Amino acid sequence: MSENVISTRRLSPAAKAALGIFARYATIIGLGAMILAFSLLSPDAFPTFNNFINVINQASLAMIISGGLTLALVIGEMDLSVGYAASLHGVLVTGLIVHSKLPIPVALAVVIALGGLVGAVNGLIVTKLRVNSVIATLGVGTILVGLAFAYSSGVPIVAGVPEAFLQLTLGRWLFGIPNPIIVMALVVLILWVLVERTAIGQEIQAVGGNQAAARLAGISVDRIKILAFVISGMCAALTGALLASRLGSGTTSAADSYLLTAFAAVFLGSATLRDGEFHVLGTLVGTLIIAFGFNGLNIFGAPTFSQYVFQGATLIIAVGLSSLGRMLAES
Amino acid sequence: MNNAALESGTPQTPPFVVAETISKAYGGAQALNAVSLSIVPGEVHGLVGANGAGKSTLIRILAGLTQPDSGQIVVDGRRIVANSPHIASELGMSFIHQELAFIPGMTVLENIMLGLPKKTRFGLVDWPAIAREIAPIAHRVGVRAPLTANVKGLSTAENWLINITRALVRKARLIVMDEPTAALAAAESERLFGIIRELSKSGIAVLYVSHRLDEILELCRRVTVFRDGRLVTELTGAGLTRQALVESIVGGAVESTHNHVGASAVEGVAISVRRISRAPKVKSVSFDLKRGEVLGLGGLVGAGRSELARILFGADRPDSGEMTLEGKPFAPRSPAQAVKAGIGFVPEERRAEGLILSKSVGLNLGLANLNSIIVSPMLPLISGRRRDALVERTIKAFAIKGASIDTPVGRLSGGNQQKVVIGRWLQSKPKVLILDEPTRGVDVGARAEIHKFIRGLAHEGAAVLVISSDPEELPDLCDRVLIMAEGRIVGELAGDALTRHAIIAASYAGVQELGVT
Repeated sequence: MSENVISTRRLSPAAKAALGIFARYATIIGLGAMILAFSLLSPDAFPTFNNFINVINQASLAMIISGGLTLALVIGEMDLSVGYAASLHGVLVTGLIVHSKLPIPVALAVVIALGGLVGAVNGLIVTKLRVNSVIATLGVGTILVGLAFAYSSGVPIVAGVPEAFLQLTLGRWLFGIPNPIIVMALVVLILWVLVERTAIGQEIQAVGGNQAAARLAGISVDRIKILAFVISGMCAALTGALLASRLGSGTTSAADSYLLTAFAAVFLGSATLRDGEFHVLGTLVGTLIIAFGFNGLNIFGAPTFSQYVFQGATLIIAVGLSSLGRMLAES
Repeated sequence: MNNAALESGTPQTPPFVVAETISKAYGGAQALNAVSLSIVPGEVHGLVGANGAGKSTLIRILAGLTQPDSGQIVVDGRRIVANSPHIASELGMSFIHQELAFIPGMTVLENIMLGLPKKTRFGLVDWPAIAREIAPIAHRVGVRAPLTANVKGLSTAENWLINITRALVRKARLIVMDEPTAALAAAESERLFGIIRELSKSGIAVLYVSHRLDEILELCRRVTVFRDGRLVTELTGAGLTRQALVESIVGGAVESTHNHVGASAVEGVAISVRRISRAPKVKSVSFDLKRGEVLGLGGLVGAGRSELARILFGADRPDSGEMTLEGKPFAPRSPAQAVKAGIGFVPEERRAEGLILSKSVGLNLGLANLNSIIVSPMLPLISGRRRDALVERTIKAFAIKGASIDTPVGRLSGGNQQKVVIGRWLQSKPKVLILDEPTRGVDVGARAEIHKFIRGLAHEGAAVLVISSDPEELPDLCDRVLIMAEGRIVGELAGDALTRHAIIAASYAGVQELGVT
């Protein structure tokens, strides 16, 4: 009975192909349409070089943390600790510089290494204790919140933050491009090469595609999973440190909201170019959609609440349309 | 011939279910070719055939899980237009599969009532009233566990009885049992037979599918035999003998000839297995696999062959026993270690365990060869040139059709997918290659290419272990065949003794001997 009903709805091959293409490019078309619409509506404020640089600069920190999260999702796990990890490492890096008087590069290296350690703990809990990654990373994330409070007593570290630390994100380099954009570009490049062009990347994709088959092909699945969590943790720490520099303070919950932004960006990215797979360049597109959307709404003076409505609605619409298009194209 | 057999075998009672000239193809493989079968109320109808003969497909069609390409199903004289599991159940057909599906954590009663309308009181389910209704049925079937017990931890036998109760509660008039005794001890089987006879007396028909011919002979008065998707014969009365069954299952006396390339020049034992056990499927298995040899592992499904392969490949660890690889102790703790030691594995379920379906042919082929497609060990970037060369070579060597480097492997046909799984090991040249059902669901051409590859690999000195439930495949391919039954090695065939007939006879004989003890 139901079979017959479905068969009457079969699409022509051309319509299927068109839908398949739409499913892959919908997010990019959406990003282009959004930029075009904002440019037409606000030709003076929106489509300027400075505004674009500004938007991408704002989006850089989100992209770094989202890039790391992409790795965790590629291997088929969740990492809910990234926002809290970023907050903790923002507090830590400020504390290490202000209180422990560590040189800035050393402080940065320490927190990135600690970020990797947090990721390793996540990975070990997931692979060795076989705890569901949602629970494992939520638990670890909650502990990190506690650690951030323990380290700073909940008081933001503001006094005595050196100018050089602020310059980390304020500064510009190469053709006057803000440093965060350069860091972000480097991170995206490294992650992209790692996943798409290295032997380990092949193993990462295999584990994400079919864990049982990857294992039987001779891949150490646990090792790959731990590595993905370590990278996610390191990216979270880097974002946290850069945010502390941008804010000029180490605050216990400063980066918590990056968790939602990062998930939105990564899932938007999964609807981009590939059929529902998480990938680094897709995440970049996802991050830009959110960043340009926020910026446009800001320019029009839209109230804060509308930005959240925008982020939530875009995510659901983009991912929903994409999977719907795929489903119809394959039926 | 089929019609004659049907007429002579059909008793006077009008049939409850008739399947008429059912055909079904999966991809290019014809799983069922115009088979017909009728079941009258109260009969225990046997259905036998080698693996892949089409028994499961027919059951799936009766159950409404699959739609036939042609043919029809008639229940009580009424043609079913569009079957579905729901309709099949409404019409009085119940299916009990090998892997019993219960919801753990729920009670016996809750599982029996799953999906059925329940008596309520003030809007709440009235379990005591339902229990009063069900208890006599459960008692009649011989369920010993209390209805309030958790199904978790109950024996397989008890699970079967609960399933039969469930079927009776649903007012089933036909109960299809797929390999009911595969996991039962002899005494439990006897208990089940008693209940089947009871059911039969009360007018409920049973379609009994089993590899165990003794059971079939004991329970059934009418037996349908399938081979290669066709109905071979229907045996009844005096014609229903063990000899006749075996001959029908195997087919004519035609024996395929050995097709061996000359023996390999290399010698010596590659892998030696001593008293390997892993509960419950592998029991004290010992054998030697020589270099340059293709060793077959025959037997029936569920004999423990795949479980043994998983131990050799480090996917599971044995409870006891020892292995050596080229004379050195070998106890892989993971497939990764086994691969490092020089073992390759082609798993039985290529889609679930062999391939990353959403990924490209290139990625899938590269997985076992990552070291040979990177630029250098110091710079582990994938070299596009080397990877392309590897993929091109494999595609050419195996004639993988419809594949380019970037094609997602899920889009290839079954046979070509299987070539990708096997082709993965073309480059890395493992010392030992284990293949589990390498040509299942693969067309004749691909099968020949896969066989050629396996022989070639052995000729170059690799040791190859081939698990196959297809008795025609082993004599063609192997130098020597071990027969496994109930977790043990029960026979060895080589040289002129290695025939299709001998393999089947040994497989069933092993079950018979061990099944009784």
